Amino acid sequence: MSTINAPEHVIDLAHVAKTYRGKIPALRGIEMRVRRGEVFGLLGPNGAGKSTLVKILMTVIRPSKCKGTLLGEPVGRKGTLARVGYLPEHHRFPGHLKGWQVLDFYGAMGGVERRERRKRIDGLLELVGMTDWRTTPVRRYSKGMRQRVGIAQALMNDPALVLLDEPTDGVDPQGRRDIRDICARLRDEGRTVFINSHLLSELEMVCDRVAILVQGLVRSQGTLTELTEGQRYYEIALDGSAEDAQRAISEALPPGVATAPDGVIDGAMPTGEWVRVDAGRLRIGTDDAGLMQPILRSLVSRGAAVRSMGSHRPSLEDLFLQAVKDDAGNELGPGAAKRPNNKRERTSS
Amino acid sequence: MRALTQTTTLLVDAYRELNAKKLFWIAIGLNVLMIAIYAGLGINERGVTFFHWGFESPFNEQFVSKQLFYELQFVTWGVPFLTWVSTILALISTAAMIPDMITGGSIEMLLSKPMGRIRLLLTKFATGLLFVAMQVLVFSGGCFLVLWLRGGVVEPSLFLAVPIVVLFFSYLFCVCVLLGLLTRSTIATLLLTVGFWVVVFIVNSADDVLLLQRESAILRLEDAEANLDRQIALSDRMIQNVEARDEQITTPEGEEIKDLDERRNAVNIALGPSRQRLVDRRESVENWTSWSSRVTLLKVVFPKTQETIQLLTRHLISEDDLNRTTGASSDVPPPDSMSDDDQAFNDPRVAERVDAAKRDRSLAWVLGTSVGFELFILGIACVIFVRRDF
Repeated sequence: MSTINAPEHVIDLAHVAKTYRGKIPALRGIEMRVRRGEVFGLLGPNGAGKSTLVKILMTVIRPSKCKGTLLGEPVGRKGTLARVGYLPEHHRFPGHLKGWQVLDFYGAMGGVERRERRKRIDGLLELVGMTDWRTTPVRRYSKGMRQRVGIAQALMNDPALVLLDEPTDGVDPQGRRDIRDICARLRDEGRTVFINSHLLSELEMVCDRVAILVQGLVRSQGTLTELTEGQRYYEIALDGSAEDAQRAISEALPPGVATAPDGVIDGAMPTGEWVRVDAGRLRIGTDDAGLMQPILRSLVSRGAAVRSMGSHRPSLEDLFLQAVKDDAGNELGPGAAKRPNNKRERTSS
Repeated sequence: MRALTQTTTLLVDAYRELNAKKLFWIAIGLNVLMIAIYAGLGINERGVTFFHWGFESPFNEQFVSKQLFYELQFVTWGVPFLTWVSTILALISTAAMIPDMITGGSIEMLLSKPMGRIRLLLTKFATGLLFVAMQVLVFSGGCFLVLWLRGGVVEPSLFLAVPIVVLFFSYLFCVCVLLGLLTRSTIATLLLTVGFWVVVFIVNSADDVLLLQRESAILRLEDAEANLDRQIALSDRMIQNVEARDEQITTPEGEEIKDLDERRNAVNIALGPSRQRLVDRRESVENWTSWSSRVTLLKVVFPKTQETIQLLTRHLISEDDLNRTTGASSDVPPPDSMSDDDQAFNDPRVAERVDAAKRDRSLAWVLGTSVGFELFILGIACVIFVRRDF
């Protein structure tokens, strides 16, 4: 894998759109950048257009409009794919091939010469823990085993960029950890890994940056720190009855924090940070530990039993759930951009 | 270099796929059986032999040489075996090739490689021909050895069967590829391809029948013309006899007839029906020629399966040898009890003329139009494959 004169962004998309059969919009202008040497996660609900985007990058689907580059070359250029490894979702290998032959076949199709293929096959099978199944026909493999061999074949051409579509699908926990380790290792080697997955916890553990795709548009993208900016908070949990805890918290908070009629506090500190109290838990929207100290001392001095205190940030799942809601809080349903159902909707839109 | 690696890999993979199929080995087994039967056949001074059994026959070594005997056997039942049995087995084996390739999960693996779609499809098409090529190679190789060891003749022309049968199969396989892309179903692809083959067979048969009708009609017309000439000559002699006796040729009313044709009709009552027969037969020739031309025109757009296979026969068996071996019964006239039509169909001159008409169709016409059809179908398949989202 050569990185000399490699562009900073291995994927640089300015505008990618796809409309099926001239009517059904799947992608409505994707703008996305993936940096060299990072693990990038693409997530989104079913029908958001994730697979369509990956297939456009791999020339499996022709875009309606495409302005962007892959490894510095225009998207759609076949020659670029010699430096890209790809594992599609629900891939199928020819059943008559043995494990090593799968790697040999797809390596050769990727343009790797015979001598190089012979050198790489054993190492890659060992990397994915399939050495013992080298000569077994793939039709006898379990789904997890096929997934492991699939990852190995994606690496046969020593790619600068590896696109993995649902790589942990059907893989057991040990296998998932192995795949995470492989991704981390590929990143350490300077390769870029692009993962399309539904398993948010998996992505959270391995991805440097993520993009959330909703209804054919990138809703948000960045590192987890960037995406959770302004959403970090401290939480103090009290023991005892909810009423006692509520009373203690009310007394400990500075004057001026609004109290809702049902006793649930939902307001702001005098310094502007949001405050929420519910079921004996106090949450304040800050990552400043100093701000929490007077409140903690006040609670302790009032005899409240503090069970736990800690700094939190929203999980990827929280971010995902936020992203799939519109500004009014309504869930954006599955599928790509909704088609207008009737003339009135079309007119109003 | 990359293109060569990819093409070689697809060919090797096609071989691996065939190797993994039971049907491929069944087909090879059938070929070996046919070669064994071919090797068992022989000819001596008294007749035909099959292993250690002997059958007395006029078809013996005095009638044909050993080389011609084995070549005749090859084209009589070897070529039809390759054309029908091997082709059907090959279609069954390869019908799944394109539907399997474009199945979700499989096509992405191929399209995501640095290989153009057209090259991928055409290479796949070529690998599909491998099944037939290998079958025919085994069969031709076996027959070549039999001819060499038993007939004492080295006849490399037998290997012409490989390109010719592969070309024949490619006419059907290009349709199979297109249908595979359109239907994505192996069963539908197989059934529709066989259906297409049946249509081609019907068009070819219609062409054969109409050619036979046309040639027999022309022959009957020629007979009628000859008969009329004879009748006219007879009439003229009769007129001369009348004039020699210083008599006149008159109408029933007693008026003298001046016009020559009318005088001929008056002296020979068979002349009128002969003239009418000639008119009828001219109409018949025009009618059959018109229909035959229409079907020949229709045939231009279809692949010439029959003629392509006959190229092999043409090359292996010379016209003289063919006439000599098939002409053994041509001296026997058709029985008198037959009707005019039956007599014409059974007239060996009709068969010769039909055969001559077929042999007159040039190699360029047979191969040009057939390969043109194939390129057209593959062109449509390429356009569909290139434009489709998977």
